[in-house]
Amino acid sequence: MKINFKIKHRRIFLIKLEEETTINTKNKDKPGILSLIKFYLIPGWRVPEFSEQEYEIEKTRSKRRFFRHLLTPLTIVGSLIILSFVFMGVFTSWLTRYPLQTIVPPSIPGVPYELPNLLHPLGTTNNGYDVLARILWGTQTSLLMAVIPTGIAVGGGLVLGIISAYFGGKVDYIFMRAVDLIYSIPTLVIVLILTQIFGLNMMDILIIYGSFAIAGNLRFMRSLVLQIREMLYVKAAKTGGALKFKVMFSHIFPNALPPMILTFFGQMAITMLGIAAIAFLGLTTSQIPNWGQDIAWGNIYEDNFFAFLIPGLCTAFFAIAAMLIGDGLRDAIDPRLKI
Amino acid sequence: MIPMLFAVLTITFFLSHSMSINPLQSMMTGWDINIYFDEMERLGLNEPIYVQFVYYLRDFFTGNWGESYSGPFQGWSVNDIITTVLPRTLELMIIPIIITPIIAVKLGTTSAKNRMKRKDILIRSVAVVGAGFPSFWIAILLQFLFGRILYEATFYEFDIEIYNSNSVILNPSFPDMIPTPSNIFFVVFFLFLMIGGFYLIYRGNKLRKREEPSTRNYLLLFISGILICFIAIVPIMNHINTYGTKFRLLDSIIFNDPIYFWDTIAHLLLPSISMTFLSLAGITRLTRSSMLEVLDQDYIRTARAKGVPEKEIINKHALRNALIPTSNLIIGGVASALLGSLFIELVYGYSGYGNTFFFAIMNGNIPLINGCVMVATIILLSSNLLADVMYTIIDPRIIYT
Repeated sequence: MKINFKIKHRRIFLIKLEEETTINTKNKDKPGILSLIKFYLIPGWRVPEFSEQEYEIEKTRSKRRFFRHLLTPLTIVGSLIILSFVFMGVFTSWLTRYPLQTIVPPSIPGVPYELPNLLHPLGTTNNGYDVLARILWGTQTSLLMAVIPTGIAVGGGLVLGIISAYFGGKVDYIFMRAVDLIYSIPTLVIVLILTQIFGLNMMDILIIYGSFAIAGNLRFMRSLVLQIREMLYVKAAKTGGALKFKVMFSHIFPNALPPMILTFFGQMAITMLGIAAIAFLGLTTSQIPNWGQDIAWGNIYEDNFFAFLIPGLCTAFFAIAAMLIGDGLRDAIDPRLKI
Repeated sequence: MIPMLFAVLTITFFLSHSMSINPLQSMMTGWDINIYFDEMERLGLNEPIYVQFVYYLRDFFTGNWGESYSGPFQGWSVNDIITTVLPRTLELMIIPIIITPIIAVKLGTTSAKNRMKRKDILIRSVAVVGAGFPSFWIAILLQFLFGRILYEATFYEFDIEIYNSNSVILNPSFPDMIPTPSNIFFVVFFLFLMIGGFYLIYRGNKLRKREEPSTRNYLLLFISGILICFIAIVPIMNHINTYGTKFRLLDSIIFNDPIYFWDTIAHLLLPSISMTFLSLAGITRLTRSSMLEVLDQDYIRTARAKGVPEKEIINKHALRNALIPTSNLIIGGVASALLGSLFIELVYGYSGYGNTFFFAIMNGNIPLINGCVMVATIILLSSNLLADVMYTIIDPRIIYT
């Protein structure tokens, strides 16, 4: 049944295209004698309009194939989870009755670690803050805490990796030694020391964390570009007299992009856990609610178990969803790639 | 490797000195201001930073890594602190490091063998869940399960007696180690000879494949072994007899203290279980994906056509090739476990390396921070070197130029 359905659709699609082509040709002119002569004499010659349309059909077909590979149940589940978190983050003020001012430290609204009741559907945490309100307000910051460092890491890795691999020589040497240096220092420790220098500003921590994660992406990007640099189209562009930056960012960049997009989702999960761990140690400001801090404040030995359980589950679900999307994309784009 | 070490040394020195905490903050309570100035003078904190850096370099390379300003180890020298604290973390890490790769590789191969069946889906889901949950969260849940729920569910019968083996003060039967230059010299010499011996064995193997076996290498190895026996082992044994090894499990066996032994094991159980969670999922996933790729290759089909039993195909033909990308993660796991242990030690109150390190940073304890970073860097760099050497043993096609 399924196969029949597919074939039927394809037939309808092709018939429509044929109709369109016939209409176009009727309106213009019939194919002249010259084109007929060309068709018979030159082997492999086609009407240019027809070949253009064939190219477009092939394009749509490859896109459809990509989406068919992508739409597995696991990736759908992952994207649904992430979409629901985005919904929670965007419409926070409609979902809770508690404004942000009542769930951060200077205010002490009620009894700490109260069990769930009508006013507080998941109970309260430290200082009597509502658990559900803190999680919903924390969704915005937690998502940004996952996305910003990963964006810095992947973007920086893309640009610096291309520069380092394409120029080679001294530039490459300097970049590689810097990467070696960052690899030899334990990253988490340096982040901890830098928080003691710059204070507990959230944005600083995110930028520091992201810029340390550039190193791994730089190496990966460099290895990709070193392969692409030897391709024929790059050599053709060079012999055509294209500028260096033109070759780098319009010929090499689009071809190295898909594998880097794959790493984005895998790294988002890792940064989510890493930043949650830094927040768990109490190194983020108490003025901005986030899930890692909720885990630290929701003392498990108190009455309300949800105060500890729910933020951890949220962190884990976000990380798992990001990993599932990353795996699905890898299977769709390039199943042989190891990340 | 050595220039890297030097670069890390300078970076950590200047970073730790620019921290916005007064290093004598926690010592200052109830002090006269003149005593505070005297203390600053004694520790050399009044001098300009480049002078302090030169003094620090001199002290670092002569084996004096400074003195702890604050915290539980106040007044100890950093060498002493690291030698007491690092073995505890190594004890914690040794069980996960040995057990995790064995379990993870087994799980990965089984899930690759029956692909897209019930077993595979179960293992994959467990791996994804294990990679997704934060380690400290799982550690707290485990602690709650065994410390509270089981304790109350068994009507307060499930209880292990505790003799404070996690506390800072060691068992008084072990006196403090006094690091003398001769001891450090012998340990370094011993390590140097060991590395040289391994290199010679490796060279011998390489030569044996290509040419006739060279007797010169084996002779050198024999002589170095005799030297090790005569020079290094006797002082090391003397040292262990008097001061202990600082590994508490070994020490309690050497000094014959069964209560202390079982107590340390009881304290190690839960932290090491939650440490295995850290690296299990990643290795399982990587093994599965590389195994799947290998099983599609032509030589596996050839082996099947030849009639090799399935067990032998998996264990001999496929696994050795599938382990090449995994070995990097397994060896890198040693270094990541050292840092990942920080959260688990903080959760369980285990006074090991990570715990000391964290409170050193929080209190602005400059010499201790520098010492701990240097130890972590040395471990990271040497594990990278070990990974490179292991690559050539696992995959003989790789040749470094």
